[in-house]
Amino acid sequence: MANYKVHDNPVRDEWTAKIGQLKTLSKGHTFLNNFRKTHTTPLRENFDLELDWGWIECKIEEKVALLKHAELDDHQFLNNCICGADAQEVADTAVAAMDACTDKYEAEKLHINFRIDCKPPVMPTNVFMDADRLLGTKLMELRNTNYYALSLEELRIERGVKVITVQ
Amino acid sequence: MAISAATKAATDALAVNRAPTSVNAQEVHRWLQSFTWEFDKNRSKYPTKYKMANDTKEQFKLIAKEYARMESVKDERQFGSLQDVLTRVDAANKVHPKWNETMKVISNFLEVGEYNAIAATGMLWDSASAPEQKNGYLAQTLDEIRHTNQCGYVNYYFTKHGQDAAGHNDARRTRTIGPLWKGMKRVFSDGFISGDAVECSINLQLVGEACFTNPLIVAVTEWAAANGDEITPTVFLSIETDELRHMANGYQTIVSIANDEAASKYLNTDLNNAFWTQQKYFTPVLGMAFEYGSHFKVEPWVKTWNRWVYEDWGGIWIGRLGKYGVESPASLRDAKKDAYWAHHDLFLLAYALWPTGFFRLTLPTQEEMDWFEENYPGWYEHYGKILEEWKARGCEDPSSGFIPLMWFIENNHPIYIDRVSQVPFCPDLCKGASTLRVHEYNGKKHTFSDDWGERMWLTEPERYECQNMFEQYAGRELSEVIAELHGVRSDGKTLIAQPHTDKDGKMWTLDDIKALNCVFSDPVDAL
Ligand SMILES: [Fe+2]
Ligand SMILES: [Fe+2]
Repeated sequence: MANYKVHDNPVRDEWTAKIGQLKTLSKGHTFLNNFRKTHTTPLRENFDLELDWGWIECKIEEKVALLKHAELDDHQFLNNCICGADAQEVADTAVAAMDACTDKYEAEKLHINFRIDCKPPVMPTNVFMDADRLLGTKLMELRNTNYYALSLEELRIERGVKVITVQ
Repeated sequence: MAISAATKAATDALAVNRAPTSVNAQEVHRWLQSFTWEFDKNRSKYPTKYKMANDTKEQFKLIAKEYARMESVKDERQFGSLQDVLTRVDAANKVHPKWNETMKVISNFLEVGEYNAIAATGMLWDSASAPEQKNGYLAQTLDEIRHTNQCGYVNYYFTKHGQDAAGHNDARRTRTIGPLWKGMKRVFSDGFISGDAVECSINLQLVGEACFTNPLIVAVTEWAAANGDEITPTVFLSIETDELRHMANGYQTIVSIANDEAASKYLNTDLNNAFWTQQKYFTPVLGMAFEYGSHFKVEPWVKTWNRWVYEDWGGIWIGRLGKYGVESPASLRDAKKDAYWAHHDLFLLAYALWPTGFFRLTLPTQEEMDWFEENYPGWYEHYGKILEEWKARGCEDPSSGFIPLMWFIENNHPIYIDRVSQVPFCPDLCKGASTLRVHEYNGKKHTFSDDWGERMWLTEPERYECQNMFEQYAGRELSEVIAELHGVRSDGKTLIAQPHTDKDGKMWTLDDIKALNCVFSDPVDAL
C-alpha cells in the first residue's frame, strides 16, 4: 500500500538522491540497466516500484543523457552505444536474431530485452527507432498468426498465468 | 547570387507542375493528383504487418482550394451561429442542467479522440506509399485539427455563457482520479495510435468513424436538441459532415492491403479486436450518457445501437468490404448482448463513484424511472430498487454522510476494473455479460471481464500496463486523493463532481467526503 502522494513522495525523493550520486557515464549506464531489469517491463523482477517506476526511469535516463553529452564526442553520440559498441551493428544483430525467430514467446523476450538494453539514451535514437520498428513488426506477425488456434484455457497455460478466479 | 537548393527544387517543381490559374475544382484536383511523394528509400517509421499497395486511389475528392473553401464556410456558419444568434438568445442557459453535465463528458472526451486522430492520420500518411492515399490521409489530418478545436470550443462556450462552468473548463486536470478517463484513453488514444499502423486505421476509421460516429456524433445532436441544447448540434453536425470522407479513407486502407497476403492472415483478427476495443467502452458509456444524462428521452439506446452498430455497420458497411475478405467481427454477437444492460450496470458504478468524476450525476426522477422500466422491462426490480434505496439514505445530501460506494462495501459487492478496457464492473450486480476472471502473472494480479479482452491480454500483455485507481490509491483516503488531483472548484473545497444538479441543493465539500473516511483498497488483494 502506498499511502503517499502521487507526485511528491518519499520514494521519488529517495531515488532522486541516488540518481544525484551518478557521476560517470559507465556508472549511470549500469544503474539504468539494472533498474530496467528489476523494475520495468512484464519481465521485471518485482513490483515494488509499481507506482513510480516510470517517473524514476525517466529521471535516470535524463541523468544518463547528460553524462553522455559530457563524455561522448559528436561522432560517438550519433553512432555508438554508451558502452562504445557500434550502434548499427548491435541493432543489426538484434534484428537478425528476430528474423531467425519463429516462436512468439522467444520473440517477445528478444523485443523486451532489446528495449531494456538499448532504449535511448543507451543507443542513439536514430538507430534504435528503426530497429524497434522491425522487431515490433515481426513480433506482431508471430503473435497474430493463428490467433484463435488455442482455447482460452490452453492459452492461459501457454502464457503461464496462475488462474486465481474464473467465474 | 546562387539560389538555395530548396528554392531551386520549388522552382523546378513548378516548372513541371504549373499551378492552375483558375479555380476549377477538377483542374485543382488533377493538379494535386500530379503531386507525388517520392523518397529514395520509402519506409514508414511505424511497424505494420501489412504492405500498402502503392497505386491506391483516394476518394477524398475535394482538397486544397475546394476543401479549404468548404471548411471555411462551415466554420463561419458554425461560429457565426454560436456567437451571434445563440448567445443573443442565451442558449447555453436554456440547456437542461442534466444535459449540461453530460456535455462536460462528451465534448471533453471527444476532443481527446480528435486530438489522437490527428496523430493517427499523420501516422497513416507516413505508412502509405500511394500518393493519392497520402493525400487522403493528409486532408483528414487537417479535419481532425479542426475537430479538436471545435470540441474544445464547445466546452469553452458552455464555460463562458452557460451554467456551472466547473468541469467544462480544464477537465483534463482531473484525468487521473476516476476510471472514466482511463477507459476513454484506451479507445481514443491507445486504440488509434499504438501498435500496427493498419490496426490503428481499423480502430480509427473502420470502427471508430464508420461504426461509432453515427451513434456518438449524430445521435448526440438529437439528444442535445431534445434537452434544449442548440449549441452541440451546431458544432457536432459540422464535424459529422467531415466524417464521411474519413470513412472513405478507412475503406481505402482496406483496398490498399486487399491483395497483400498479410490481409488474409491478420485482417479479420485486427478488425475483431478493434471492434471489441471500441465497443467495450462506447456501448456502455454512450448509453449511460444519453439515457442517464438527459431529462427528455429520444429513443432507447439499445434501438440506436441495433440500427447503427449491428445492422448498418456490422451488416451493410462490413458487407461492402466482403469482396476484400473482410468478415463481420465474431465479437459483434457478444456486443449485442451487452448493448441491453451494460450501460445500466455502468451507471450504478458511476453514481457510486461520483466523487471521482468531473461532472454532476443525478438519480432518475420517477417519470424517468417509468421510462426505463417501459423500455427495459425488469429494470426496476434490479436497478430501480437500488437507486431508490440510495435516495432514501440521502445520497444527494452531504449531511447524510452517505455515498453509494459505501453501500457496495457494506453489501460486499466488490468493484473490479478490467485490465484491458479499464472499464469498471461489479460481477455480483451486473446484468450485462461481464464475468470475473483474475490471473496472476509474474507476481502481479490482473482482472478481466470478458473472453475477447482476456485473449488480447494473454497475447500482448505489455500493451495493457495501465494501473487502475485501486492499485494506484490503495491505502489513501478519498478526499486526499481528490484534493491532490485537482477535483475541487475554485473555492478550493467544493467538489467539481456532485451527486445532483439541484440549484438549491447543498454541494459536497472535501470535508464532507473526509467525514466518510473512505479508504481505497484493491479488491484483488482479498482473492
Ligand atoms: Fe474527427
Ligand atoms: Fe474523423
